[in-house]
Amino acid sequence: MHAEESKVSATSQQKQIVYAKGTAASHGIANCHVCNQLAVSSLSYCPRCKGRLHVRYANSIQQTLAFIVTAMLLYIPANAYPIMTTTLLGDAAPSTIISGVILFIDHGSYFVAFVIFTASILIPIAKMLIILWLCYATSKNTRLSKLELTRLYRATEFIGKWSMIDIFVVAILVALVQVTGLMSIEPGLAARAFAMVVILTMIAAHQFDVRLIWDRQQQS
Amino acid sequence: MKLDDPVDKIADHSLDNYIACHECDQLIAMPEVLERNQSLICPRCHSKQLTNYANSLDHSIAFSLTALILLVIANSFPFLTFESQGQVRTITLVEASYDLYLEGFYLLAMLVYAFVVFIPVFYLVAVLILLIPIKLKLRPPFAVFIGKTVSLALPWAMTEVFFVGVLVALIKVMELANILFGISFWAYAGFVLFFTAASNVASKRQLWRWIEDAR
Repeated sequence: MHAEESKVSATSQQKQIVYAKGTAASHGIANCHVCNQLAVSSLSYCPRCKGRLHVRYANSIQQTLAFIVTAMLLYIPANAYPIMTTTLLGDAAPSTIISGVILFIDHGSYFVAFVIFTASILIPIAKMLIILWLCYATSKNTRLSKLELTRLYRATEFIGKWSMIDIFVVAILVALVQVTGLMSIEPGLAARAFAMVVILTMIAAHQFDVRLIWDRQQQS
Repeated sequence: MKLDDPVDKIADHSLDNYIACHECDQLIAMPEVLERNQSLICPRCHSKQLTNYANSLDHSIAFSLTALILLVIANSFPFLTFESQGQVRTITLVEASYDLYLEGFYLLAMLVYAFVVFIPVFYLVAVLILLIPIKLKLRPPFAVFIGKTVSLALPWAMTEVFFVGVLVALIKVMELANILFGISFWAYAGFVLFFTAASNVASKRQLWRWIEDAR
């Protein structure tokens, strides 16, 4: 069966998707993205919510990659510029994400350092790499099984918004720490870039269609 | 509950008796009965499809109303007070994002306000406009529109993230100053709990089933 398929795709030079037995797509049924109503896939609009009907998200991989690449580019200024500037007795000390973490380790607050490191450095980088890996896994066999890849996706989607912690911390500090003439905290340029990184990676994760992983034929 | 048999053939007119897994597209025949608090799990990718919560309609309305009331309280009292060198600074929940605005970070300020207050409020009000008429056996207004926007809005409500962010910020300034928690702080803590409960009970599939039944 696999040999036949590869012959078909080789001769027609066209990517032909053969859906696994038992999926809605193999029965010619689309699962509405908006309301999860099942409908015959030849329909253009969902009979229940009138949303556009697709068997799979349109251009899922392209859009996901576009958002991820943008996020990766924005992650550079997010780390290069200061995320906030602490002014103590007229003495301004800008701090980037990484220098903030190092400062906390120096102060001995290992827990806060751990939270900031995880939320602002570990999770965003891991998320971007995992999504890139998942995009790759939709077309090539990987060491991880489909189930493991799906679990990985579930984890990235769940964890996505937690990177926003750093932005909220800055917002609260800026509002709270204003002792006239003594101490104040101003937000820095990196806060903008980092917020966009978080938002873009969240959109990228939403755009990614996990079902594409399950559509891939197992080549052993 | 787990179903092992993949569907081989389905009759054309019986689409209502099936659901398709949103993560792997597996067709799953709906079981006749789902016990209380029992979840339907996809046999192939183990993702949770739906849970049959007891009295889910009543609970959704109750949780949403409670969360909304707590958020009104959270917005009308002082959130945190910062005492240092004889100077006292009290902020409200709105000021947490308004000061970013004053610093010239307009977009960021609006995003923070949207994620923390506006989107959760929008979600709760929309769910209540939908569910209260359903509870009273009336036709809910704009049901389809609300159903669509609600599932779009939910991933962007970051109440629990904001709350953890507040705690981290407090650990940072704890040694610099004396921090007093306002009524608003505790109200927001409660709001986070009830918002999470409300959005959990009224899952996307469940909301659309109610919309379907009300028509």
